Amino acid sequence: MSAPAAHLFQSQPNAARRSERATFWVFRAATYLVLACGLGVFGTIFFKGAGTVFKAEAPFINTTFFTEAPESLYIFEFEGKKHEMGDREFRAFKEKYPAAAKVKSESYVYSAGGIFPCIVGTVLLVIGSMTIALVLGVCAAIYLNEYARDGMFIRFVRLAILNLAGVPSIVFGLFGFGMFVISFGWHVSLLAGWFTLAFMVLPVVITASEESLKAVPKGFREGSLALGATKWQTIRLNVVPYALPGILTSSILGIARVAGETAPIMFTAAYVVRDKLPWDVDKAGDFFLQGVMALPYHIYVVSSKIPQNEYTERVQYGTAFVFLLVVALIAASSIILRNKLRSRYKW
Amino acid sequence: MSEPTTIAAPAAPAGFAIQKKRLRLLGLTVDDTIKAFFGGNAVVAIVVLTLITFFLMQEGLGFFAQNRQSLQVYRQAGLEYVDFIRTEVDDHTALTRYLSDLRLRQLTALTEGRKLSLDEANAALANFDKFSDTFSSTVDPVRSLLSDLTEQATAIKTKFIVTGDKKEERAQLLAEGKTAEAAAVKIEETDFAAELKPLLATLPAFKEANREFSRALTASLEGAPVPPTPELVARMERLKQLTRDYLARLPSVERSLETWDYTLPIPAWKTVSSFVFGRQWLTASFWQDWYGVIPLFIGSLMVSIVALTLAVPLGVGAAIYINQIASLREQRVIKPCIEFISAIPSVVLGFFGIAVLGQALRALSQFSWLSWVPGFPYSERLNILTAGCLLALIAVPTIFTLAEDALNNVPRALKEASFALGASRLQTIVRIIVPASLSGIISAVLLGLGRVVGETMVVLLCAGNRIAIPDFTDGLSVVTQPVHTMTGIIAQEMGEVVRGSIHYRALFVVGLVLFVLSLIINYAAQKIVRKYRISIG
Repeated sequence: MSAPAAHLFQSQPNAARRSERATFWVFRAATYLVLACGLGVFGTIFFKGAGTVFKAEAPFINTTFFTEAPESLYIFEFEGKKHEMGDREFRAFKEKYPAAAKVKSESYVYSAGGIFPCIVGTVLLVIGSMTIALVLGVCAAIYLNEYARDGMFIRFVRLAILNLAGVPSIVFGLFGFGMFVISFGWHVSLLAGWFTLAFMVLPVVITASEESLKAVPKGFREGSLALGATKWQTIRLNVVPYALPGILTSSILGIARVAGETAPIMFTAAYVVRDKLPWDVDKAGDFFLQGVMALPYHIYVVSSKIPQNEYTERVQYGTAFVFLLVVALIAASSIILRNKLRSRYKW
Repeated sequence: MSEPTTIAAPAAPAGFAIQKKRLRLLGLTVDDTIKAFFGGNAVVAIVVLTLITFFLMQEGLGFFAQNRQSLQVYRQAGLEYVDFIRTEVDDHTALTRYLSDLRLRQLTALTEGRKLSLDEANAALANFDKFSDTFSSTVDPVRSLLSDLTEQATAIKTKFIVTGDKKEERAQLLAEGKTAEAAAVKIEETDFAAELKPLLATLPAFKEANREFSRALTASLEGAPVPPTPELVARMERLKQLTRDYLARLPSVERSLETWDYTLPIPAWKTVSSFVFGRQWLTASFWQDWYGVIPLFIGSLMVSIVALTLAVPLGVGAAIYINQIASLREQRVIKPCIEFISAIPSVVLGFFGIAVLGQALRALSQFSWLSWVPGFPYSERLNILTAGCLLALIAVPTIFTLAEDALNNVPRALKEASFALGASRLQTIVRIIVPASLSGIISAVLLGLGRVVGETMVVLLCAGNRIAIPDFTDGLSVVTQPVHTMTGIIAQEMGEVVRGSIHYRALFVVGLVLFVLSLIINYAAQKIVRKYRISIG
């Protein structure tokens, strides 16, 4: 006989228990497989993109990549040496060595220079659309949480918000194109992109804001009202200030969405290439009616319109790296802040 | 019941000790105005949804009228007539393809089965080649007639289009008030009856050619050689059977030509059905443009099916693991990590697919020990499988988060009661927790489907963008074929079309289909949650 059981109810190994453990391992494997896939995507792009973005010598960051506009890359052999040059550099080189004008060169568009205009465009798009979405969304949430009584109208509004959250982003793009670009005559412009993106994240912002407003205890409102404050004073002084941190942190997730979507801006705001920077405008009004370059659209262009090889790879992975890093940082800070906030405010 | 005490209404408002004058604007106090302002913002969601519907309709609905017009021209200019003959020729081409496939198989059988050298095998197939040549050249008289007719019909159509352009020009000039110039624009109304006369006059010639073709084809079957292996003999018999069926169909082509009438109007339902059930999406062709949504719809569907087959087990499995099995520490780390995956922008995933995953999967398919997998090995780098894998990664966080919520909402009492009755953890999970939260899990899957169907960039970059219904004859290997999707086609073609053209409007109708689809999926998800939610308490 084997060693006696320590006590009567000690678990005995049996087939059922083994199969249970095996099943649990299957579930565990599923979970870690998902994590591994996510990590694989992040890892590949970080690893390959880091080569473009960082340098071995000081200042360790590839400043050209962050401060210049995209250019064509020329590759040629001249006097037995292989050269790789951007468009402007190549022209200067040809002036210096007239003989170089005749050399045969391979060229790849967008593969030299940097992505500065795209970064600027994305930042502008995010700022504008989030401002619009926050104003509309927070006000709507205040109404839904503070004023509204249950009824037909509110049911309708909630249904609309739920459905709006499920509408594909490309449909938002079509809608923005039909309404802002064509009917309003704004053409491909920042303004059209702002409104399209703002409407797209509206459900996210409303839901996030409502959640934070709900978290403010009822006693705050009742105390204020009992002291004779009006409803508006109560909301202004006793509800919104406590809900605001929550609203803002949850809305950061909306920023990640706005920055990351390509389909809605394809026909409403994004240009494949634009020489001028957004602030190079004649009139102040033109600022809003100009299209911009944007990071996600630039990634689409460089990954679909130019071939894959060792020369173009740098700009492809570099752009994806920068973009992923920005979006990931935004999303991570949102998740971390939210968890912090949940534990801080306990009423 | 006590006697209700009657309260004497004050004769005149006595007036409170403290009275405050409220500022009123259009009968609203300041507080009312503020409330109305916030309420107005809440309406925005409804307004946006209405506007989306409105603008998609405004741009899209014109499609059906234009499509009817296009179908009308297709008939009046005799293109439909010519297409009867074209179908006949195309069917014959299909038979020839079968024949060349047969030759390839014979060659393989000879070189690998009987170990003949390539030259010897080719020599052995000389008889077959002769047969094959006769077989494929029998159609030549019909084909030459077809190319003549094609030219004639195209000419009629072009003439009609030019007339239409001129009419537009005149209308524009009239609108600008230039009457003299407008009168100068010469418009020749297209007289379809007269134009079609030479086209229709070819019918006897066609019948003659058809008879000759039929005779030659029947005769050529006599000379069919016998292939070397029994399996191939069966295939040869199949070819003969197919050819005989084809020959039997030939008279019906003649009948359709005889009864064809260009004056028959196109019924209104035809324009809708040619979109909804159309099997071709063909644009900017010299002959006739077709806007059938079926290939795109099937593309979207196939990609979604692959994505969900991968994402549902992974997402739900991970949710069960995190909610029921994992330790608290694991929970706290893994949950945000999976949520974090949803932050990867879809265009980056698409790029990953092009740069890494497509090649990796293809390389994987080349391994000989994996050749039992249906469709492996394959050569197209971008296909349903590549796009489906990436979309699965997009769907997993959605499914995971929502399914985890659903599992979380199962009352503790159920679990505890199950344990108290002596059930093991696995039994509790499988028999109690999952069934209790099934409605939530199903709605999570549906919302995941909504995400996948509406996703644009991944399918645009990775699905291969070939507009054709994939070939289902080889079963599961269909997932290694490239497709185009509804979202992809909008993103790809919207930038290039002329505003207001039929193509432009067709894209809006595709958008409308997507919009309606997303509403249906959303509605179903909500309905399921509400209907089957177990009461907590």
